[in-house]
Amino acid sequence: MRLARLWLGIVVALALLAPWLAQNGPRDPVASALAAPARGLPFGADALGRDFLARMLVGTRLSLGLAGLAAAIAIGAGGAAGFAGAMLGSTADRLWLWTTNVLLSIPSLLLAMLLVAAWGPGIPAVVAAVGIGGAPVFSRVTRTVVLQLLGAGYVAAARAAGGGRLWTSLRHVLPNALPQLAPLAGTQFGWAFLGTTTLTFLGLAGDPALPEWGAMLNAGRVTLVSAPRLVLIPALAICLTILSVHALTAPSEIENTAR
Amino acid sequence: MAGLLSQGLTSSEQAEQLRRRLGYDLPLFQQYLHYLGRLLRGDLGVSLYSGQPVSELIGAALPSTIALAGASLLIAIPLGALLGGVAGWGSLPTFRRLAGTLASLFTSLPVSATGVIGLLILGRLAGSDPPSSQTGLWLPAAVLGSAASGPFARAVQAGLQSTRRSPFILAARARGLRQNGRLIWHAARPTLPAIASLLAVEAAFLFAGTVVTETVFSRPGLGRTLVRSILQGDFPIAQAIVGLAALIYVATQVIADGLARSADPRLRERT
Repeated sequence: MRLARLWLGIVVALALLAPWLAQNGPRDPVASALAAPARGLPFGADALGRDFLARMLVGTRLSLGLAGLAAAIAIGAGGAAGFAGAMLGSTADRLWLWTTNVLLSIPSLLLAMLLVAAWGPGIPAVVAAVGIGGAPVFSRVTRTVVLQLLGAGYVAAARAAGGGRLWTSLRHVLPNALPQLAPLAGTQFGWAFLGTTTLTFLGLAGDPALPEWGAMLNAGRVTLVSAPRLVLIPALAICLTILSVHALTAPSEIENTAR
Repeated sequence: MAGLLSQGLTSSEQAEQLRRRLGYDLPLFQQYLHYLGRLLRGDLGVSLYSGQPVSELIGAALPSTIALAGASLLIAIPLGALLGGVAGWGSLPTFRRLAGTLASLFTSLPVSATGVIGLLILGRLAGSDPPSSQTGLWLPAAVLGSAASGPFARAVQAGLQSTRRSPFILAARARGLRQNGRLIWHAARPTLPAIASLLAVEAAFLFAGTVVTETVFSRPGLGRTLVRSILQGDFPIAQAIVGLAALIYVATQVIADGLARSADPRLRERT
């Protein structure tokens, strides 16, 4: 737990400070191809002679940023739709149920790939696709939480006291739903991180030179044996981040294991 | 479409002709109806890139992917049962903790990272760079299978832990059931429905996993075809493959429901 918090803290700090910490541009060739780690080039250079540390640092910002944006889309769109469906009921709710059923019949990652196929590869497509791919699940959970709250006495009391539907939902239901949904936002971020790094690993960001962990992991495959650090460093960064997010968002699971 | 035009076709007349032939000049709604009509006749359309029928391309790529998914499942089920069994029933706390940790690691670690690291180890052993694409079936299957075994292990572990101290196990013990194997079976039976419904989730995971695994190991298959079609803007192929995956996913869910029902008499009575 403490380690997970420490790692995520470091990663977020690096993401914020990346432009000041990186000494070279992530796309500028500064050394010979595959130059070994040396003073001033702690991680060495990649196959095109670019400063690998600088690429990792800028990659921190891109990887976390893309995942964060995708998670925000999933939470915003999914949450809003689920909330509206549950509050409005009847036709709106049925339409919502039908839509999420269709979307849920395609595994999330494949849904994201289908969307990228429709829009064409690119960073905005990857972010939006992962966001929409994750939205149905979050939407379902939101609806369940809201429906449970609607059964509570104070909601009925607010309605009986003459509160309109909109007022009741914003003043009474929303504040009580948020604390229940907040931990799920972390889970959603973990999923989004896995989704965006997987899609960039597959090259769907449309730019093989992108300084992003998933794309770098893919690019490093070419020189797998002669320069394994080009693969190991991004792989380690991705794994540690996912493990940390999981450790913090599913503490009960880890406790179960520890027992 | 615009991308394709800028890549290969030069004259806008040719482009207009192609558009008309593919029916892309019609309104979207009409295009969709035409697509549905062809779909009903079993026609998935042709590749925008090579002109080959999509069904042919899928047929060529399918066996390799099925082999990979099948081999992964063959690894995932015993491995998951073993890890879950040890984590939920083992007598030594150290082994219990080790199995549980392994199960969470397998669940969390992305296939892209573990696959590349597996390939690296293999390449180190062989000493070649880059490692040959002929890695065989078992390394990719081991990578994908171990990742898929995580959720299985968790379900088995949770089930065993919850039934372990339940009255019916105590009763079985009191009746003199001492053999560990039979007692485990006794305890595991109530968790079978949960594990059966996990099958559907596993199917989804395996399909998404084959896409990544095939890319990592440069294996031919549906996943690689899908990625290539997306990069080439070849939408009919991507659409057909994702549609096929969704079909398999829904079918597995129905099968899993049936399995759960046959494993748990209580579910049968309710319906």
